[in-house]
Amino acid sequence: MANPLTLVIPLREDIDLSQLQAGLAELLPNIGAAMEAVGTVHYSRVALLDHSSPNLQPKPDSSGPFSFAVITSYDGDFDVYIQDFVTHLGSIYDALLGFSADGAAIVPVADHVEQFTAYLEANDLSKQPPANGFPFYSAYPYTVQQVLANAPS
Amino acid sequence: MRLDYADVQGTILQGYRVDHARHFVLSVVDGAGARSFLRSLVDPASGLPQITTAARWTVKPRSFMNVGITATGLAALGQPLDGFPAAFRRGATDPATARLVGDIGDSAPSRWLDGFADGMRAHLILSLWVHRDIELLEQVSAVLRQAFGESLQELAAQDATALPDNKVHFGYSDNISQPTVQGAPPPKRPLPDRQPVAPTGEFLLGYPNQNRGAVYSVTPTPLSTNSSFAAFRLLEQDVAGFEAWLASAAEQAGIDPELLAAKICGRWRTGVPLVLSPDTATPDPPLAPERINDYDYVSGDPALDDTFGYRCPIGAHMRRTNPRGAQVIAGGSLHRLIRRAMPYGPPYDPGQPDDVPRGLVGWFISADIANAFELIMSQWVNDSAFVRSVRGPDGANPVKNISGQDVLLGVNDPAASSFTLTIPPTATAPWSNRRLTGFGPFVTTRGGAYCYLPSMTALRFISG
Repeated sequence: MANPLTLVIPLREDIDLSQLQAGLAELLPNIGAAMEAVGTVHYSRVALLDHSSPNLQPKPDSSGPFSFAVITSYDGDFDVYIQDFVTHLGSIYDALLGFSADGAAIVPVADHVEQFTAYLEANDLSKQPPANGFPFYSAYPYTVQQVLANAPS
Repeated sequence: MRLDYADVQGTILQGYRVDHARHFVLSVVDGAGARSFLRSLVDPASGLPQITTAARWTVKPRSFMNVGITATGLAALGQPLDGFPAAFRRGATDPATARLVGDIGDSAPSRWLDGFADGMRAHLILSLWVHRDIELLEQVSAVLRQAFGESLQELAAQDATALPDNKVHFGYSDNISQPTVQGAPPPKRPLPDRQPVAPTGEFLLGYPNQNRGAVYSVTPTPLSTNSSFAAFRLLEQDVAGFEAWLASAAEQAGIDPELLAAKICGRWRTGVPLVLSPDTATPDPPLAPERINDYDYVSGDPALDDTFGYRCPIGAHMRRTNPRGAQVIAGGSLHRLIRRAMPYGPPYDPGQPDDVPRGLVGWFISADIANAFELIMSQWVNDSAFVRSVRGPDGANPVKNISGQDVLLGVNDPAASSFTLTIPPTATAPWSNRRLTGFGPFVTTRGGAYCYLPSMTALRFISG
């Protein structure tokens, strides 16, 4: 049975959209390969929230402030695999937290694994009330690897 | 990089090749007195036995001694714990730890032997080793006990005695596979294993580890470099139950009990690995002793590749606890433990079954308890979802060829236990699985402690 991660990272107020897009352009192409290397992530998507916009949708000329969201469904115990998560995704989170309002002090995350674990817990909407009481739906009770093993070739 | 061996507790970096051990479980009654005792263990002028370091010797010592300190022990010695990792601070008797590593039911800390059950009082584990000299073990013990004085209360003393040919009570040859640690003294008899050399930082604080050169450390700084951590474990083995199950399950499976014993372990009881000798415990010509660990589960050579577990089952004890190059969720060589354990209790005599406790006791060492001991126990020993999909012919896939928990070490509730034997394809039949079910645990945890293994510098700092 998968678990949800709804990570919201508030970004520094001085970050504008062009800076962010330039920074993300180098990061985003690597996320898929990193998730595959982790091996427990069913789906992953990222989103940008614009706090200056009434419906949080970013506007082309907005100067924010923004938050960056990472939304995934993953198998197993996140904390137990944290070192492997850092191995594969650490450089991506180092860059993301470099833009953040509250996470720069734990970069590089490989040297601050416990603090990084605590950061993820604190910024995961799925683990914080009231959202941790909201239902999480999965269409199937299988792990990523079971799905891959049984999918038609 | 040259390690300062004289600053590292010896048992971390080298096996002592001894056959008797005594592990004292001590409680700090008086902090100042306990600090003074520890100080005397790193001060040759004290006249007390000294902590053994990894410094090379010209004449082998007659006895060896090392010490581990629990989180509650550090606190009792006056050390703040803020700079120590969460798993260590949580400790072995914490309910969350117990759930994570499978210390539940009869293995629950509340049922552990006196001395271990109360994590608030188990402060130090002082391990003493000798070779073939029980008299010396008693002499040194007497000296130490006198030195404990009123400052340290001896809660328990657990003895261990090696069995002939490095066997464990279940009959398997042990102490074959150990990580090769960068910078450690080379073993006397190296056994090539095709695994990457582990960075020093995986086993000693203060050095780059395998995670992009990050460094495991604690604060204050003098406590960090050259120190380490370990899970101390006292594991009772139900040999009679194991042998009875082997006989009945092998009959049920239609295979020889010795082959089943090999399948659940990954090695024949002679120590010969299934990957190198799938059909016999005594290959002809014999496997050269230096080749006994020289294999992997995956290989570019089809004759040696065992990706699908046809030779060594995916769920075999050794393949779970050290998957080597096999495809697993958390890299197979990234979570290693140095094992310094020895059997306790008398050898099992099948002709005269008894209820005398016997098992294995010792240290399972790494610089990060959570990333090694806890991951191995929770994900690899007591779960089977860690295997990665590798697509093979006819739908073969290692994910399909594992179930349940480690037969030798898992929790194994009889209502849910399962072990998968994978039958290789033949000219006339595709591969298939046969599942053995309904067995209980063969190992019960009788004691444990999460310990900090201080460097000599750290010991002087703590005791100063």
